[in-house]
Formats: sequence, structure tokens, C-alpha cells
Amino acid sequence: MNPERKALRFVVSALLVLGFAWTSRAQTLQLPPHEKIVLKNGLTVLLMEKHGVPIVDIAVIVKSGSVADPAGEEGLASVTAGLLHKGTAKRSAQQFAADLDFIGAEFSADASTDYTAISSEFLTKDVDKGVDLFSDAVLHPVFAQGEVEKLLAQEIDGIKAAKDEAQSVALNYYYGYLFNKHAYGRPVGGDELSLARIKRDAIAKFYETNYTPGNTILAVAGEFNAAQMRAKLEQALGGWKAKPSLLPAIIGPTAVKGKKLLLVDKPDSTQTFFVFGNIGTAENDPDRVAIRVVNTIFGGRFTSELNEALRVESGLTYGAEAFFDSRKEPGAFAIYSFTKNESTTQAIDLALQVLAKLHKDGVTPEQLASAKAYLKGQFPPSIETSGQLARTIAAHEFYGLDDDEINQMEARIDAVTPAMAKQVIAKHFPEENLVFMLIGKASEIGPGVRKYATQQDSRKISEPGFWPGAK
Amino acid sequence: MNNVSVALRGLVLGTLLSTTAIAASAQSEAQQFPVATKTLKNGMKVLVQTDHSIPNVALYIFYRIGSRNEHPGTTGLSHFFEHMMFNGAKKYGPGDLDKAMEANGASNNAYTTQNVTVYQDWFPRSALNLIFDIEADRIQNLSFDAKKIASEREVVASERRTSVDANNGGILDEQLKATAFIAHPYQWPVVGWMSDIEHWTMDDLKHHFEMGYAPNNATMVVVGDVTPEEIFQLCEKYIEPIPQHPPPPPVTTVEPEQMGERRLIVHKQAELPLLMIGYHVPQTNSPDFYALNILRTVLVQGESSRMYQRLVDKDQIALEVTASQGPAFDPTLTIFAAQPKQGVDPQKCENAIYDELDKIKKTPISDVELEKAKNIRLVEFYHQMRTINGRGNTIGTYEVFFGDYHKLFDAATNYGAVTKEDVQRVAQKYFAANNRTVATLIPDNGEQGSAKQ
Repeated sequence: MNPERKALRFVVSALLVLGFAWTSRAQTLQLPPHEKIVLKNGLTVLLMEKHGVPIVDIAVIVKSGSVADPAGEEGLASVTAGLLHKGTAKRSAQQFAADLDFIGAEFSADASTDYTAISSEFLTKDVDKGVDLFSDAVLHPVFAQGEVEKLLAQEIDGIKAAKDEAQSVALNYYYGYLFNKHAYGRPVGGDELSLARIKRDAIAKFYETNYTPGNTILAVAGEFNAAQMRAKLEQALGGWKAKPSLLPAIIGPTAVKGKKLLLVDKPDSTQTFFVFGNIGTAENDPDRVAIRVVNTIFGGRFTSELNEALRVESGLTYGAEAFFDSRKEPGAFAIYSFTKNESTTQAIDLALQVLAKLHKDGVTPEQLASAKAYLKGQFPPSIETSGQLARTIAAHEFYGLDDDEINQMEARIDAVTPAMAKQVIAKHFPEENLVFMLIGKASEIGPGVRKYATQQDSRKISEPGFWPGAK
Repeated sequence: MNNVSVALRGLVLGTLLSTTAIAASAQSEAQQFPVATKTLKNGMKVLVQTDHSIPNVALYIFYRIGSRNEHPGTTGLSHFFEHMMFNGAKKYGPGDLDKAMEANGASNNAYTTQNVTVYQDWFPRSALNLIFDIEADRIQNLSFDAKKIASEREVVASERRTSVDANNGGILDEQLKATAFIAHPYQWPVVGWMSDIEHWTMDDLKHHFEMGYAPNNATMVVVGDVTPEEIFQLCEKYIEPIPQHPPPPPVTTVEPEQMGERRLIVHKQAELPLLMIGYHVPQTNSPDFYALNILRTVLVQGESSRMYQRLVDKDQIALEVTASQGPAFDPTLTIFAAQPKQGVDPQKCENAIYDELDKIKKTPISDVELEKAKNIRLVEFYHQMRTINGRGNTIGTYEVFFGDYHKLFDAATNYGAVTKEDVQRVAQKYFAANNRTVATLIPDNGEQGSAKQ
């Protein structure tokens, strides 16, 4: 562990999902050329040559995530993804691992709320083996009973291990409490109780229903010839059988009215980890660029209003930030920080004041100019590698965004006016209606935090699950 | 000694791989990584690698000072100082540095280890002059504002509460090192003991700055949309006038040979236990570095690795097993860590780890395993090299820890030369019972007062 000056973890991960800023050079950075093909079985294929490093990156989106989990079986999409490479029709789990590791390749599959992301990476010289391993896992997993039981047991213990590190589960509790019964509140990885209910047949059924070519986007970027790659992919994936899509549409969550507070008791805590906010925005929100600019000023960089107040000026915390975790439908907005037990209310009060100030005073022209330069200057490294590019074009396809999301980003950032900033503050940043979630030592901080909300809920961190709906 | 040398190194990977195709592509790859070097008159070495693929720059400054240069009572000072380097100098006062950088599209960070303190700037090339102006300002004119120091002390205390108090791995790692080293400064945590964080004095800070922040104690690496000529010119203007002064005194303490296993237990409220085992191993520039890395790869890297197969897959006693070893100037530790599953006695994980080590001590690894480990190392090289940021950090790390960045391009050859017998020899030599420290975290969730037995 090397202590760093900053650990703005949430900001970084949010940036990766959102795609962020832009370069201020006269000649703007453009997405490298790429092509889209829809195979006969309905599979969408995106191809992008990116030369310089002899690596191939595959990024796949299966358009089903935890929102497709049946109630009570939270974690089903996640476990299904985790088992893809744990035994296929022609390879045992051990053989798959041996073949993959021998060429130094990577394969990973993770569910999120809206979709399951599968990615693979290998050297260009190993392209045949790499494509074979990837398609083997995606098209022919067998979900052997032994592997199912092994993974479920690991996942349940993994949640317990995560609860030993408060910040790693803070968002699970916050999302559960904020979204409540909406599918976006479900813990993507499930919880101790829901995982114990999942059976092999449910996994196989989830796979059969959701892993279909028509429900899948596959993006490939890297050092290869596009025509040759296309032929390889058609050969490897063209035989994937088409199926009718049965996906139900999701209705977006609605904002919480009033104030409520969940206190998760972790009796050995020396710090309180707190998150508060409300429902945020969808990934394709028309205001998304102006929101990014304003949130950069408010809570999205080191000199943000929040970090200046809670860290730089007062030393209350190692870091404070705000982020929009945008999804297909409106996701969450959150303000996040942590402070020692004694200063819990001082830090939350201060964060609330910074939010109130944003609504009252808005942002200055200097702040706007600075945030625009920052976003533009920091953007190019986020689409530097073939892996980043493959994930970017796959996500755009999923969210219904086009290349202008990148190619026009600079112009769109420049076009944000003070009036637009004022508008998005009023529309997208909560003010009076707030949902609070705190993890900390309840016996010490409980009385002080009562003032934040009339509705108060509490649970112990050792209790299974993350949300009131968990049974 | 205004010595400019431009190195155009081919990556000699042919010896490593059985296929010839990669050798060709690797060599064409290598031509994209020429490194230009220059040693300034004040002793700072500057390395530049041009890459115009994005209009951005990664700039690293490695100072050869870390927690190994500290003393009891002022542990964590290097890391605290890293924070202070952002809190104001002469031209850029408190808060100005970050504001100026961000308003010009730049971001920054820094990290501290037992060995080095490293400053990182990521910016569009339009901010080049500003970045040099800031770096020069803070190397020579750092301000020591009492109010700022008091506030930053609290920030670092919060960082420690997060990375140690609220992180079982952090607690156990700290206790393990404090037990494994009895003489050498690697025994204390980089972030520092809490009581030291609370008690450094202004004089301690000033002394640390005098000692560590000499230009001749630093190496600068610049990678991205720049030319060596313009960087050297900027260095001449901003950095070269800074006078050199004596670097930190050498760390002369040598950790005495460990003559028997050491064990420690941490009792704490927790959902799951945790196990760490540390073995003394040599410093980074030791000839055994490559064989030790191959051994670690065979043991824990990937789901086909021996310890994953044994502890996670077959015996199902652990969620995860890792082995870590960071770059180090002095003899250091390889630390195995296992997260036991619920209800599993950590002793079981411990025994399985020893058993897997014993197997390699008795019988050399297979040819396939050796080739796999070398392939994994090659792919890792490309991973590090694929971004301007990765290249900046990697070029600097090789230059600082091996004393020569060329070792980066020799790594494939050096890994290629490792034999099964080498791997067996280092397993026998370093992973012996007398050379280990075993740390176990035992969940203690009983009522207060009746807990520990």
C-alpha cells in the first residue's frame, strides 16, 4: 500500500463510465474510424483498428444486468457472468484457465444494473486462440453443479469480507435505501441471503433467456485487419442461435420526497462514511454535458467546492466528492465523504452548506472556464487504449449515443453558458429532498445525526443484506 | 557534464518466445520507445519519450526519499511531506497550485513508498510551461505555513483511519512489517504511526525538505506529445538554476538474518479472518529478482496458478490468495496473503501455502509453467507500455530502482534466461520457515471484556 495524496475512487470510476472531457487543441481528437455490422443471427459487431500496440481488445455488452434478476434472487446476473469461463462444452474450468493464462490473456465478465459486460484481451499473435477462448465461454458455458456451488459460497463470503471495509459497501447500502423497491436498488452482486437461494437451473435459465445474439453488442478494437477480424468473428459467432427477445422495458425510478436517513452500525468504526443525495440522471440526458461541467465545479475534481471545504480548508477528511452514477434510466446522484467520529455532524453540515451555496450563488464565469479547460484537458487519456475504445463504442451503442459524443464533446463543453449552468443546478442537483446513508459507530454518532431527517432507519453491518427489501 | 544521449533500443524479445512472429512485431514496437536522456548541471537526470498519439503529457518526478529515510518519532514524514508539496510555495501560494493546474486542463497526484516519493502531472501539452514553473517553484521555495500544516495533519490522520483502521489488510500488513523487521526502517508504515502523525514539528519538516528535495536526488520522466529538445530547454530555464545540495545520508542499517519463525495475532471485530506470511527477499536490483517474479507468477497469477488452484479451487478454503513484492532499494519482503473462507481455520490456508512452496522446492516447475509465466510477463510489459502514463511510471521505476532505464528493455531477455532450476533455487533459498513472519487476524466479536482467550 502506497499512500497517495488523493483517492477519489468514485470520481474515477464514474468518469470511466461516462466518458468525460475533451482536448483544447485546434485539431480536436476524433474517434478512430470504425464499422458496424449486424450478423444474420442479430449480433451487433463493431470493429475498430487501432495500431501501435500488438493487442486485441473485445468488449461485449449483453443487455441484461441485475434489473433482470428475479426478486429474491438478487445476484443471479452476476453469478451467471462469473460462471461463463468456469467450464464449457469443450474445456473444464481448469483447462480454460490454463489455456487463457498460457497466452497471458484476460477474460472477465461482470454484471452491472443495466447490462453484463464481458471483456477479453490478448496479444495480436494469439488472436485465433483468443477468439476461440472468448467465444467458447460466451456461447458454450455448462454451469456444472460443482462450479455453481463453489462460486456461490465464494460470493457469500466475499460480501462478508467487503463489509469489513466500510467504504467498499457504502454504495450498496445507499442505493438500496435510495431506490428502495425499484430494481436499481438491488445489490448487483446479491447479498448473503439471496445468493443462498440461487440454484443451478435458475442460472441456466437466465443464460438461455438473456445471452442471445440479438441481445448482445460486441466491439473489437486493436491491432488487426478489420476484414480478417470480421471473418474470424463470423466464423466463431455466426452459429450462435438467434432467439426472440423477451426483455421487459424498465420504468425509471422517481425522486424521493422529503428526507430520510439510514444508519448502518459498525461498532469498531473510527470514521463515519457518509453518502447523501437523491435520484440523478440517465446516461443520455440532454443536459449531460452541462451537468458534467457543473459537477466538476461542485464535486468532481480536487479543487471542487466540496473538496475545498471539507478537505483543503478544514482538514475534516481525506476526500469529498459528488457524482452522477448515470444509467439507462435515471441513476443516483451522491455526495460522498468520511470523517472521524467526533466530526461527523460538522462534516455533513458543511457538505450541506456547500450544496446550499451552489443553489444560492451558482457558479462563477471563472469557475466555468476552469472546469471546461479541465474536462477538455483530461479527456484524451480516457480513450487512449484499444480497451478503452472498445468499451466506449460498445457503451455508445447500448445507450443510443453516436460518435458525436466524442467528436463534438469539445464544442458541447464550450457551449455551456452560465444560464445553462443555473438551469441544471435547479433541475438536477437536489436541495430539500435528501436521502442519507451513514456507516459508523452508532452509539457515538447516532444522537447527533437525528437532526438530518424525520424518517430514521438503522441496521447492523453484520445483518445479512444491504437494503430494507432484503429477506 | 551536459551530456545528451539518445538511446534507440530494440526490444530483444526473440530469445523469449518460441514464435518468430512476435519478435518482428516487438521490434517494430520497440522503435516507438526511444528515450532521450540528459543530466542537468545540478545533477537531475531527465528522460524524455515522445509519443504524439494523444495531445497530452505525463510528467513524473521521482525523489529518492521515502519512509526508509525516517526515524522513530517522525515516521510518516515523507508521506506527509508529499502532501505539503501541494500546499504552497513562493509564486504559487496555498491552493494556487491545484487551481492553476486544473484551470489549464491539468491534474496531478503523488505517491510515497518506503523508498521514493513520486509526483505525477497529467496535462495537455498547452500547459507545459505552467507545469515546469510550478515544479521549479515548489522544489526550491516551498512554504511552511503553520495553519496549513495543522490542517493537513488532520487530512493525513483521516487517510490513515481509512487505509488502516477501516481496512483489515492495512492493519495486518502494518503489524507484519513491524514484526518481520527489527532493525531496518522498513519496519514502520509509510503513512506513519498515528502518534507520530500528531507530533511532527516544523523543524522536522524543514529538515526533511533540506534532506530529500535536492535536484540531484531526483529523476524526471516526461512522456507524450513533446520533443526532447523542448523539454531540455524548459529544464535549462526552470530546473537547472536550482542549486544542488547533499542528498539524504545513506541508509546503513542492514536487517540481521532472521533465525526463526515469528508469529503474531491481531484480535479485532471482523466478519472474516485474514492471513499474511512475509519472507525476507533481496532488493530489486538483485540478480534473483527475475526468478522470484517468475516464481510468484507460477504461484499466484491467474486462475491456473498453483495456489489459486489449491486454496481457492480444489480445497475451497480461501476466497483469494496473492503474493506481493514492491520495488525496493534494500532487502524487502514477499508477502503472501490469503482471505480464508468463513469457518475455515487460517492455519489450514497457512499449511496449504507451505505445501505448495515445498512442492516447488522438491520438484522443479514444468516447462509449460515456465513458458506461461514468461508469456504473462511479456503481456504485462505491453500493458505498462500502452499508455503515456504507464510508460512514464515504468521508465522512471526502472531508472530509479535498477539504476538504468535500459533494464526495462532488457527485462524480456532477463526473464527469458530464467530456468526451472533458478525458480527452484530461489524457492529453497528464500521461502524457508526460519525466514518467515506469520500474521493472522482473528475476528473477535464477543461482548466487551469477555473476548480474548
